[in-house]
Amino acid sequence: MDRALKRRLEARLGAQIRGPIRQRHDQTEIRIQPGGLPDVLRTLHDSVDLRFEILADLAGVDTGREMQVVYHLWSETTPDWLRVIVEGLSREDPRCPSGTFLWAGAEWLEREAYDMFGIVFEGNRDLRRIFMPPDYTSFPLRKDFLLPDDSARSPGEGVRHMERPFAPAVVAGDPADGVRRAPAS
Amino acid sequence: MPTRPARSTTRTTTRAAARPKEQPAQHRSEDDPRIMLDRQVSADLYQPIPPYPTRTEREAEFYSLGDGQMFLNIGPHHPATHGVLRLVVKLSGEQVVDVDPVLGYLHRGVEKICENSDYYHVIDQVDPLEYVSSLFQEWAAVLAFEKLMDVEVPARAEYIRVLSGELLRVASHTLFMGFLALDLGGLTPILYSFIERDEIVEMLAALTGARMLFNYFRIGGVNGDLNHDFMSRLGDWMSRAARQTEANTGLLNENEIFVRRARGVGVMNREMALRFGVTGGNLRASGIPFDVRRAHPYSVYPALDFNVPTRLEGDSLARYLIRMDEVRESIKIIDQCLHQMPDGPVMARLPRLLRPRPGRAWGAVEGPRGMLGVYAISDGSDQPFRFRIHDPSFMNLEVVSHLLPGNLLADTMAIVASLDPIMGGIDK
Amino acid sequence: MTFAGRTWGRMSPTARLTAIFVPLALLLAIAAVVAVVLVLPALVNFLGANVPLVRFVVAVVAILVLTIPTAFVLIYMELKVIARVNLRVGPNRIGPWGTATSLVHGFKVLSKEDFAPTGADMPVFTLAPVVTFLASVMTLLVIPFAPGIFGQDFNIGLLFFFAMGGLSVLGLLMAGWASFNKYSLLGGLRSAAQIVSYETPLTISVVGVVILAGTMSMNHIVLAQSGSALDWFVFKQPLAVLIFFIAATAEANRTPFDMTEADSEIVAGFATEYSGMRFGFFFFAEYVNVFIVSALLATIFFGGWTAPFDWPWPYNLNWLAASSIGILWIPIALLALFVGTGVMAVAVRLIGGREWTAPSAFGLGFIITGAAMTALLGLALFIAFDWAQGIFWFMAKTYAFVFTFVWMRGTLPRVRVDQLMGFAWKWLLPASLLNLFVTAAAVIILNR
Repeated sequence: MDRALKRRLEARLGAQIRGPIRQRHDQTEIRIQPGGLPDVLRTLHDSVDLRFEILADLAGVDTGREMQVVYHLWSETTPDWLRVIVEGLSREDPRCPSGTFLWAGAEWLEREAYDMFGIVFEGNRDLRRIFMPPDYTSFPLRKDFLLPDDSARSPGEGVRHMERPFAPAVVAGDPADGVRRAPAS
Repeated sequence: MPTRPARSTTRTTTRAAARPKEQPAQHRSEDDPRIMLDRQVSADLYQPIPPYPTRTEREAEFYSLGDGQMFLNIGPHHPATHGVLRLVVKLSGEQVVDVDPVLGYLHRGVEKICENSDYYHVIDQVDPLEYVSSLFQEWAAVLAFEKLMDVEVPARAEYIRVLSGELLRVASHTLFMGFLALDLGGLTPILYSFIERDEIVEMLAALTGARMLFNYFRIGGVNGDLNHDFMSRLGDWMSRAARQTEANTGLLNENEIFVRRARGVGVMNREMALRFGVTGGNLRASGIPFDVRRAHPYSVYPALDFNVPTRLEGDSLARYLIRMDEVRESIKIIDQCLHQMPDGPVMARLPRLLRPRPGRAWGAVEGPRGMLGVYAISDGSDQPFRFRIHDPSFMNLEVVSHLLPGNLLADTMAIVASLDPIMGGIDK
Repeated sequence: MTFAGRTWGRMSPTARLTAIFVPLALLLAIAAVVAVVLVLPALVNFLGANVPLVRFVVAVVAILVLTIPTAFVLIYMELKVIARVNLRVGPNRIGPWGTATSLVHGFKVLSKEDFAPTGADMPVFTLAPVVTFLASVMTLLVIPFAPGIFGQDFNIGLLFFFAMGGLSVLGLLMAGWASFNKYSLLGGLRSAAQIVSYETPLTISVVGVVILAGTMSMNHIVLAQSGSALDWFVFKQPLAVLIFFIAATAEANRTPFDMTEADSEIVAGFATEYSGMRFGFFFFAEYVNVFIVSALLATIFFGGWTAPFDWPWPYNLNWLAASSIGILWIPIALLALFVGTGVMAVAVRLIGGREWTAPSAFGLGFIITGAAMTALLGLALFIAFDWAQGIFWFMAKTYAFVFTFVWMRGTLPRVRVDQLMGFAWKWLLPASLLNLFVTAAAVIILNR
């Protein structure tokens, strides 16, 4: 828990951070809007007292209500990991600016997020599917992905009985903030 | 779901009865542009890679052939790709001009499965990602879950984790050396490295019960304490380990042919390594001393004394030598663990049904290939809401499309082998 | 059904085989006796008049027939030696210590489906293995195996050898092109480039020996080294031996120069699309190639069939010859076989214990007695005939070099293709020219 980091972040990025900066164990978390992502990443990468040069992870998250893109960054100036949550992406048309202008390695991570969630990264030169076949039509890690519906469109239909996975009801707020999900129907 | 006919329950009858007649037949071979039937061959003899319409800028740039160029498909079935990896290579004679790795042949949907498994089952599911060194995935997952649940791990369990992890690191690096030599043509070192690995894996089987997918770590500790069989095997191995490592590395280090093929090949400079998010031995071979065990220490690594070998050249030889240095460091760490091992329980007391508080946690460990990270989101139920695995081989392989151009086809395998990718982790 | 049909249906397989083959054998025996009685005198007269032609035909047939067992022995040797280098055991199931593995591989290769890829150029595809195999086998014509045992003694024997060896390039190129496969194309081109670039240092390094021996005839080169081991050309041409060894490894496509079949990059190179007997031909051609470059190394530099020390002249074993005891040799040999089998069976049973049942004890006894008698016969031949000695020394030296090639394959990684070419043109060629120059200068100076 690096309080100094929290102060530095508020100083550099104050306007763009939505909500409080949360810190727990060895992680610091900031939430931003997708529009501000390039500026935030540039500031985090280039500022002399922040220098978050190592991209640890770029993940997509489907909270059931909205989509998020979560960056994890590492800097030698702080013992904490920094988590940048880009929230507010709609579930119907999730769009987010790409991080490939700063880290070329984000290209494949964004391809994976697109493949699994359908999040379109604007500025990624190579946004196509990476794991699933190129003509696949669903986005597997979304919460509304149902395996029987997906397999019904494949030649494997009718051969085996597919179990119905747990389909969550739409909840208010971020489920990771303590709101319990509706039980399985 | 299809109704079963009363008369017979054979599969064909069921399927035939299920599909209505007017449903259009799907996936006819003639309509699939990706399959080239024999009678079409004479029509378009040199149709290289079936060109379904290109969707992105980079794809269009890659799939347009210049003068005197051709595509070569180093395909998923290949004696030397590290698993099922497809590299579409654009060649100009023998020189590689561009490369497009195609992944997904081993995609198993582990993240989705983990969303439907409870926290104990996740550890079992996450093992086969990097099957060669599976304890590290368990470790990363368990680290993230312990942060979610605020669990305190007993010291003895931490030391056992480090001990088994470092043993597996030695085994993984030894196997890497064998595969690198095999890809370069030497038939012998791989068998020597399998002998080494077999010893270590038998040791870990005595400890955990399994030879490869261990399922040993638990949230709050490990599954079982050290036993006599493991300790005697470990003692045997430790008495020979240093000398054996020197002998095995001497096989390749002093071999002029090997050194010439690896030196100066696939050079990755500092800024390229940072830009691509490469971690592990590949990053340290390019001069950046980032090791999660030192940069962001976890477990009992702060109490252990070891060096982080770093080299500046960034070529395949440096990547190989760094891993051999890391083997020596791991042997040192194992020695210290054995001396510093405290007594105590090996598992924290936890309820049988784990329902962590809602929250988010990230845990990262240093695996043999790099930084393995797990981002877990809990929503208060007994299954993780989102279980994201960040695999080091994924980032390591991405840099291949920038390392290969300019080199000969013969170097392709040397470079890919020196990056040490494991397709299970890449494809999840 | 007819009576014959019903009888046939009732017969057991053994009875059926007997019913077919015994009358057939009798018929053939009668026909053979008749033919021999009628034709033999004229045939013997004809053959007696054309002894060189007979000799040549026999030599060619022997060479063609003996390449297969040679390849089998080499394949087995490679599997076992590389296994031991790898700390493994190698084939040990089929036959005693796995010796019948090669035979079984041969049958397996014969039994595979014969297909060709779509789009392959069929005539070229079919002929490529033939060309490669023939190019390797024809070189055996000029190699002297023993004094008096060679196919033909050209006075340009060495040139013939290299000419035939160069033909294999054609076969590889044909294979690479006709397979309609990019891997094969790459492999074929690589191998053609490699063989062509290593031929020059190979031939030039041998010219020094030609200067010293004064002739290109292989037989005379061997005779020029007769005497003792110190007369061998290896001591007079050390650099040439080194160059020849390296270039020969590249010519035979062996590790460390086996880029063409680098199975970690281009699957199987030019032979990717070949299977079954076609692939068998390539396979055999490669092993015969190893044998012939070893044989050439032994012949040119290490004395061929000459012994390393002054071997006493062949002893006269005429007192054992057929003229004194005559045809009695045959019953004596059979009796010895019977008695030996019995004695050995008893010995096996006594030493081995109760688990040696009668059939297996007799079997082992037979094998031991047969092996002992063959060894005695070989020893007698060795002592009595100089051609037996010659073959022994020749084979010993050749197989020593074959072992070295196999050893290198198990130990060394592969050289990259551009490093390979660079090495040939930048290092081996100047070295061989230097060797030639120094040899010629020394001969002129020392012979003044």
